[in-house]
Amino acid sequence: MSEHFIERPRYTCAQGGAAATVTALPGGIPILHSPSGCAGNFAWTQNGGSALQVGGYCGTLAIPSSSIGERDVVFGGDSRLREQIENTLKVIEGSIYAVLTSCVTEVIGDDIQAVVGDFRAQGVPIIGAETGGFRGTSYDGYDLVLQALFRDFLERGVAKRRKRVNLWGVVPYYDPFWRGNLEEVRRLLEALGLEVNSFFLAEDSIDTIRQAGSASLNIVISQAYGLGAARLFEELHATPYLSLPLPVGAGATEPFLRAVGAAARVSARRVSAVIDTEHRRYYRYLEPLTDCFNDLDLQRYAVVVGDANYAGSLTRFLADDLGWLPELTVCTDPFRTEEEGQHLHAQIAQLRSQYPVQLVFETDGSRVISHLREQWPVGSYRNVFAPAFVVGTSLERELAAELGAPQLSVSFPVSNRAVLDRGYTGYRGGLRLVEDLIGAIIPGR
Amino acid sequence: MSHIDLKTPPKREDRLKACIAHGGSICELAGRSGKKSCLQNDGERSFTQGSICLLLPALAMLNSLPDNVVLLHSAVGCGSCSHSQNANVRFGSTVRQGKATDARWLSTAMNETDVITGGEEKLEQAIIEADQRYKPYSITVVSGCVPGIIGDDIDGVIQRLQPEVNARLLPVHCEGFKTKIWATAYDAVYHGIGRTLLRPGEQEAGDNGLAPFKGLERLPRTVNLMNVSSMGRVDELELERLLKELGLDVNVFPVFSHPESMVKATQAALSISTCPTHDDYFLSYLEERFGVPALIQHMPIGIENTGLWLRDVAARFGFETAADGIIAREERELRDALREFRPLFEGKTVFISAGEFRALATARLLEELGFRVVGIRSFHHDEFADVEYRKLAQSTEEDYVVDIANVQPFEEANLLRRLKPDLFLGHANGNGTAAKLGIPTHVIYNTGLAYIGYKGVYELARRLYRQLKNPIYNRNLAENVRLPYRSEWYGANPFAYIASGGTEA
Repeated sequence: MSEHFIERPRYTCAQGGAAATVTALPGGIPILHSPSGCAGNFAWTQNGGSALQVGGYCGTLAIPSSSIGERDVVFGGDSRLREQIENTLKVIEGSIYAVLTSCVTEVIGDDIQAVVGDFRAQGVPIIGAETGGFRGTSYDGYDLVLQALFRDFLERGVAKRRKRVNLWGVVPYYDPFWRGNLEEVRRLLEALGLEVNSFFLAEDSIDTIRQAGSASLNIVISQAYGLGAARLFEELHATPYLSLPLPVGAGATEPFLRAVGAAARVSARRVSAVIDTEHRRYYRYLEPLTDCFNDLDLQRYAVVVGDANYAGSLTRFLADDLGWLPELTVCTDPFRTEEEGQHLHAQIAQLRSQYPVQLVFETDGSRVISHLREQWPVGSYRNVFAPAFVVGTSLERELAAELGAPQLSVSFPVSNRAVLDRGYTGYRGGLRLVEDLIGAIIPGR
Repeated sequence: MSHIDLKTPPKREDRLKACIAHGGSICELAGRSGKKSCLQNDGERSFTQGSICLLLPALAMLNSLPDNVVLLHSAVGCGSCSHSQNANVRFGSTVRQGKATDARWLSTAMNETDVITGGEEKLEQAIIEADQRYKPYSITVVSGCVPGIIGDDIDGVIQRLQPEVNARLLPVHCEGFKTKIWATAYDAVYHGIGRTLLRPGEQEAGDNGLAPFKGLERLPRTVNLMNVSSMGRVDELELERLLKELGLDVNVFPVFSHPESMVKATQAALSISTCPTHDDYFLSYLEERFGVPALIQHMPIGIENTGLWLRDVAARFGFETAADGIIAREERELRDALREFRPLFEGKTVFISAGEFRALATARLLEELGFRVVGIRSFHHDEFADVEYRKLAQSTEEDYVVDIANVQPFEEANLLRRLKPDLFLGHANGNGTAAKLGIPTHVIYNTGLAYIGYKGVYELARRLYRQLKNPIYNRNLAENVRLPYRSEWYGANPFAYIASGGTEA
């Protein structure tokens, strides 16, 4: 890992994550306060990394942008922003408008909150977030938009509803499986009898989002993303939150549902009933795979490369559900402190299989092979790292080629798969993942 | 003095009086109506949608260079477009070298501290580490907006460090807020190449004037074929085929060419542009410094334009007769082959949207196939395109709308709802608006597909035939999704937000 650069960053900047997040809200209209090129950069980023998902109702090149230039840099961009918002309201129909700042407008010191506040005072559903690119990655941008939403859009002081929960933690488009991942968790929470607001799905509406303060519990299916927003939510709306690892497969989903059940005061009997039903179906579907799983010798050594959500959760699935041998797990997020990665150490330390996984934090994908070679040197008459599998991003194809291993792109960037509503969470996601992993091993069969 | 002697290239607003905001018509832009409005006073928009900046086309070129590391000096998001360009690099390296190779790009990922204290030291360390780790032939140091505002001096850093590292260091200035004409990207890249790989002063004076780079000879039958990053290997092969038939040797340059081999460009007898928007800056440098004359008109897209382009090249070598023979043969065969598609195309209306030259040349091609052009959107306008507007103004019976817009899909949506064309051709990531309106669409460039030369005409016709045979996918979309514009907008003047007004459509 370099102190001085990041190799092929597997994310874009805060503004990019923020814009994608706003686009994913029902009727969400991002307004970039930025030079003209930021929107196009995000369009091409998603084109190459979001498993062929570009845009949405108002995304990428349709996104309004103040498109400031040199003159605004000298004289300030506030008046240009005001003009842009006024005209956006005339041209574009939305349920919520969100002004998102860029590096340039933050360095020159534009006060967007004052401008946004004036419009809000006139009844415009508008929020603003400081998402300058130097503030962090697309994951940070997601958190910053949720914070602005919770601060300036949610109704305050609404009565709590006991069974109502909010769900977030996967970043639209920068987790290419965001829709499927949210849908399956939502389905399971509803099976527990909970009423779910998940912000970004077809079932969600701007009105339920406005009422999100009525939730008794916030469930964040991440131990890295959206946590700032969870803390702010608790402070402003007095709703506690539960941050849990992205639940991939039966082995992770059972403790997930039990933890949620306990926090949301769902009876243990009801939780167990849901788990039993889901487990029965899960294993009923896995059952006929048994012969071929054995006959084709489908157990694999594995390297897992991914973001802070996927690195640990995919590893756990491989080790504990599939009985594979994940030797090395690489988290590519640029963590600033030791603590930021602590949850991954904890997740890997708690494997039911007790498989000893080496966890590395490394932003540069081309270094993964040297981390692997430290454990598995090359040479004749050695117990080599084979048969192997690489679960990572599409940038891990080089590594897979070097190892002579099949590969599956899951974490951003995913350039070589088309994803619409596929997800890897929960029971259904676990089955999808088995299909996709094995599908990558046997395409020549 | 050449622009390349300056530290940074001038922006095209200044150098070429280029503009991005105008609503007009084909006859007006061709000067036929006698009222070509004052495009130079670029009327900006009071409502704008995002587009791209010069960083994107610059990276599309730089990411393709073998043995090069792209080092972005900016915040972490700048350059994430490389994820999509990487697909092109993998495809391009597969068809050229037989192996898919990922582009290698790095970011200094400037953070809040760097913004306050300056990023030069971080950049220095990044260059040193990249040089040691990847051992590349060259490192292109690309600056984004943040160093442009806080005043990091990338040229100074490069000058200080060059003696300490093995890689050749190329500065490429891409501060996005400084220009709205993203074609300035080409100048920025060529500027870096010219200043570093073809350093001024490193040529010897020949007997009769200017000579190639030192130690190299002039090659009297070699031509530089300037490729563009929107052009795939299949298109290069088509142009190579035609040029070789004239008896010429072809040096394809600069996309996907090894930085070490770029000096070969100084040996050629002629440089041939395939897109005047792309190449003028560098071709005048090659001409002034190394005595390589340049051809910079016509884009070899379409039957007539390919012929004009080839005849121009041939004339420089006295091969006109041979060229006329090739052109006559190709046109005869092609027109025969196209007969199959013409009944489906004849009289169908089309709207075209892309970079200026590409849009205009493709419009001519579509006319040749039997379509009727009803509107064009050019991403910018400068003087190089005047001749193309004149060609189109001459060939059309009715005047039609031309929107000069750096994307701006809201204007396009408005125009398309009025014009209801039978077909739309747009830039990559630029077909969504038309598709959601239910119009059959096709991408105007894709490096895996053929567009250029005679083969390009035929292959494009084949693809459009497919699209028009079953356009139901877009129709389904239109029935089930909507664009984000208010209904009032469709009734408004499409150019209402261009500050200088524009012509009522």
